[in-house]
Amino acid sequence: MATTSFTAPKLSSPTFQTLCRNFPLSLPIPKTLSSFSFHLSPFLSRFHLHHHHYHPPRFHPRRLFAVRAESENGAEPIRHYDFDLFTIGAGSGGVRASRFAANFGASVAVCELPFSTISSETTGGVGGTCVLRGCVPKKLMVYASKYSHEFDESNGFGWKYDTEPKHDWSTLMANKNAELQRLTGIYKNILNKAGVTLIEGRGKIVDPHTVDVDGKLYTARNILISVGGRPFIPDIPGREYAIDSDAALDLPSKPEKVAIVGGGYIALEFAGIFNGLTSEVHVFIRQKKVLRGFDEEIRDFVGEQMALRGIQFHTEESPQAIVKSADGSLSLKTNKGTIEGFSHIMFATGRRPNTKNLGLESVGVKINKNGAIEVDEYSRTTVPSIWAVGDVTDRINLTPVALMEGAALAKTLFQNEPTKPDYRAVPSAVFSQPPIGQVGLTEEQAIKEYGDIDVYTANFRPLKATLSGLPDRVFMKLIVCAKTNKVIGLHMCGEDSAEIAQGFAVAVKAGLTKADFDATVGIHPTSAEEFVTMRSPTRKIRQSSESQVDADCNLYYDANKLVGGKNGSDTKFPLCILVKTCMPCHTS
Amino acid sequence: MARKMLVDEEMNQTNQEEAYYDFDLFVIGAGSGGVRAARFSANYGAKVGICELPFHPISSEVIGGVGGTCVIRGCVPKKILVYGAAFGSELEDARNYGWDLNEKLDFNWKKLLHKKTDEIIRLNGIYKRLLSNAGVKLFEGEGKIVGPNEVEVTQLDGTKLSYSAKHILIATGSRAHRPPIPGQELGITSDEALSLEDLPKHAVVFGGGYIAVEFASIWRGLGANVDLFFRKELPLRGFDDEMRAVVARNLEGRGINLHPQTNLTELIKTDNGIKVTTDHGEELIADVVLFATGRLPNSKRLNLEAVGVELDNTGAVKVDEYSRTSIPSIWAVGDVTNRMNLTPVALMEGTCFAKTVFGKEPSKPDYSHVPCAVFSIPPLSVVGLSEEQAIEQANGDVLVFTSTFNPMKNTVSGRQEKTVMKLVVDAETDKVLGASMCGPDAPEIMQGIAVALKCGATKAQFDSTVGIHPSAAEEFVTMRSVSRRITCSGKPKTNL
Repeated sequence: MATTSFTAPKLSSPTFQTLCRNFPLSLPIPKTLSSFSFHLSPFLSRFHLHHHHYHPPRFHPRRLFAVRAESENGAEPIRHYDFDLFTIGAGSGGVRASRFAANFGASVAVCELPFSTISSETTGGVGGTCVLRGCVPKKLMVYASKYSHEFDESNGFGWKYDTEPKHDWSTLMANKNAELQRLTGIYKNILNKAGVTLIEGRGKIVDPHTVDVDGKLYTARNILISVGGRPFIPDIPGREYAIDSDAALDLPSKPEKVAIVGGGYIALEFAGIFNGLTSEVHVFIRQKKVLRGFDEEIRDFVGEQMALRGIQFHTEESPQAIVKSADGSLSLKTNKGTIEGFSHIMFATGRRPNTKNLGLESVGVKINKNGAIEVDEYSRTTVPSIWAVGDVTDRINLTPVALMEGAALAKTLFQNEPTKPDYRAVPSAVFSQPPIGQVGLTEEQAIKEYGDIDVYTANFRPLKATLSGLPDRVFMKLIVCAKTNKVIGLHMCGEDSAEIAQGFAVAVKAGLTKADFDATVGIHPTSAEEFVTMRSPTRKIRQSSESQVDADCNLYYDANKLVGGKNGSDTKFPLCILVKTCMPCHTS
Repeated sequence: MARKMLVDEEMNQTNQEEAYYDFDLFVIGAGSGGVRAARFSANYGAKVGICELPFHPISSEVIGGVGGTCVIRGCVPKKILVYGAAFGSELEDARNYGWDLNEKLDFNWKKLLHKKTDEIIRLNGIYKRLLSNAGVKLFEGEGKIVGPNEVEVTQLDGTKLSYSAKHILIATGSRAHRPPIPGQELGITSDEALSLEDLPKHAVVFGGGYIAVEFASIWRGLGANVDLFFRKELPLRGFDDEMRAVVARNLEGRGINLHPQTNLTELIKTDNGIKVTTDHGEELIADVVLFATGRLPNSKRLNLEAVGVELDNTGAVKVDEYSRTSIPSIWAVGDVTNRMNLTPVALMEGTCFAKTVFGKEPSKPDYSHVPCAVFSIPPLSVVGLSEEQAIEQANGDVLVFTSTFNPMKNTVSGRQEKTVMKLVVDAETDKVLGASMCGPDAPEIMQGIAVALKCGATKAQFDSTVGIHPSAAEEFVTMRSVSRRITCSGKPKTNL
């Protein structure tokens, strides 16, 4: 959330700064000579070769020294570039890489499209998807929409409203957009403070060391592509009437009745937003369940909880066409029938990397079949001087991952410290209502990878819900490797899940065991303490028998049985109620 | 099956001591620690009896209730009121998010109180069921120790029951106490504060501990004027100084009047309310005066001295690392021992007791890295060492990482309140020695951090963890630059 706590990293590499100072000055060459690289082809080819020899890259410190030696010998002409790094795209990954590179002493430029809340081939904005069309505005909308639930809750705590609280859409949009403007300004400032040159315009790669921004050419030793992704709407009749998440975050008025097509996290987050802001919400998913790829129990649980809050799910229903009626309302035709009367139809059917019109094909940057740039473990593309981070590489499309990739790249390139991003135990959240937080493997993945696992679950009514009278529940799950006792997966759906999961992610990443969790004293009364008080497994899964072994519920079995079954995930039993509202007595 | 014993010499005595006991364990006090110990002991096969005073929200020498302080007069009802009070500011924050609310919101204290009482009655019932499900025999009445293996329960009708027990566990908890100032009977303690007939219009809170700041936050959140008096410069003695200052600033920001370094000297009843006088000569009128000046162990009426159970000078039962008192057959857990007065610690002590005495597995409670939370609004949560403690204990330098930021929600709501997070790191080992946070969701966030600290996680391990975006918690894994380095080189290095 660090929206206003930007702290400049104080990392620096004096050695490299010295090198930089020596290096470009050794050959004063006029700027922006696009054809320059051809003159220097002998050197360049050697330069490339150099890298290829060490591919996958091993960045020995001597590489830089070797280059410098060459330049000082004067045996080879040394190429001068306008910048050590030219970044295309000032989103999370691009800004992070640029700033860090500059802090390490590199001369850096970044180009970005002009600001707009809706992205296109010609509009974007410093800050990128996260700040302008993703995490931030989404979370602000989640805050806004959560209030209707809080009003309901507050009734149970003695608060009363003479008139039902009404929501004014335009106030929210105005305040949200003011915040986005402020943030884009902050991001520009950050770049500026770090000494990064910001160029507004559309960047296109001309050759391995040259970028064209609206007709102006810039040369760079390294080019970074961090242009992100954009929402994708499948080609069905009437798709022009559909909106994507960009538009959904900046609608001029409240959608009265909205269809959301898709079952991924974006679909669920918007379903929660519109539902909370009192729209009628229908979600159409191709599968039986939402959130493919998530833990199966979490998928079931979040679907149930969202349905309880009034969202209508249409499962195994695929859109075929959108029809606009005379009265302006929209109908969605699916494989199962037609549903009429929508004011808006939103597609949350995936995102695609922004790799078109970047000149990638012409310089030989390889793209996979989804349009994502192929990179190695160090984020290097098939062209050695060109790198890519973030959604455009379609690895794990999360802001903090793009930040990690950007930071790793800056270290690799400018701090003599070859660094691979580490994709193990990356935690993530879905800001559905209720939200989900998770880290590590799902149960299904864990079985595949480890075979023998123990699963601990809790499904309880939180203290707040016992007073509010609302049907809110919390589901938690720990997946433990039976052999090593390591916690290999942690999942939660319920209030504060995203905040709760972060600290546990440190523990999971550090490879801590279930015994370590158990040794930690709870913070009472919280929901989070449940993760350190799960004593008996809900089930033990053993590869050998290929079936579930009934959990050995050791000495707590009887007590559990008497209060409603040892299986804490069984929502019909009152155990769950016991669990949370009288934590100290929780039998687990 | 029953009567498993831990200590070897006792094992040797078993034969000669094979005397008949009514119970393997008799527990006095059915709060967090007592219920836990009783249930777990029963699960190990012991025959267990437990006694507890009759239920009432307000405790006294003869009133208590199954569930104890946590459930009836502490954590649970407190948290319910905090939830209720937090809506006050939540609803204000809603306006900038586009919600049109009445200018003046209606809050019905009686409804909240009623629902809170219903909930603790329900929990009291659940606790009773838990005990009976575990096969623990519950007696209602006041327990007293007659001999090393003898308890007496005085029932409501005055009849006395006597039982012999191989082991006796004292888990009678503690009670709020009032300072000895003139007019102290006009003030209330946290027991009554959780059950007030009417919401105070003007409350005076005396005390600087967590109970004081929690009630100040509750009443302020529900619209009362609150004056908070405490003896030190900052509230929450014992916590990290920097975080104490943050809490103080937040309380003030929420409209609570702070009176540091001030004592109450007298309360006088007047027609307008209670006249409160301070040692600075200030006078003010309040309708409620809360004493949150500490709690004392409930050890007086147990006849402990007579059987030789030693108490310390605060009245706490003295115990060894296994929770055993000076009489080998008598044990004590929870607040009555005044070690670390937290529900989960009492649970830990109760669990360890059962393991030690009936589980053949001698277990000491581990008091390192016990996390805790103060449910002020916004809350504070900490685990491990404060900066001051770290400096005190460190051999080498201490690195302090802090992050002060405006939570994203405030960017639109306009609330002026910063969240502050802090990590204290041993420069030499890179171990994170302490973590603290003051801001929304701090207690929920801190639990996972506590697991990491408990297991000696390093700052590098924090840094290698990817953030969850956008959350407040991610700040704990993205603190890159040191705020300050404290050189502790002046101290002799003990490891040399």
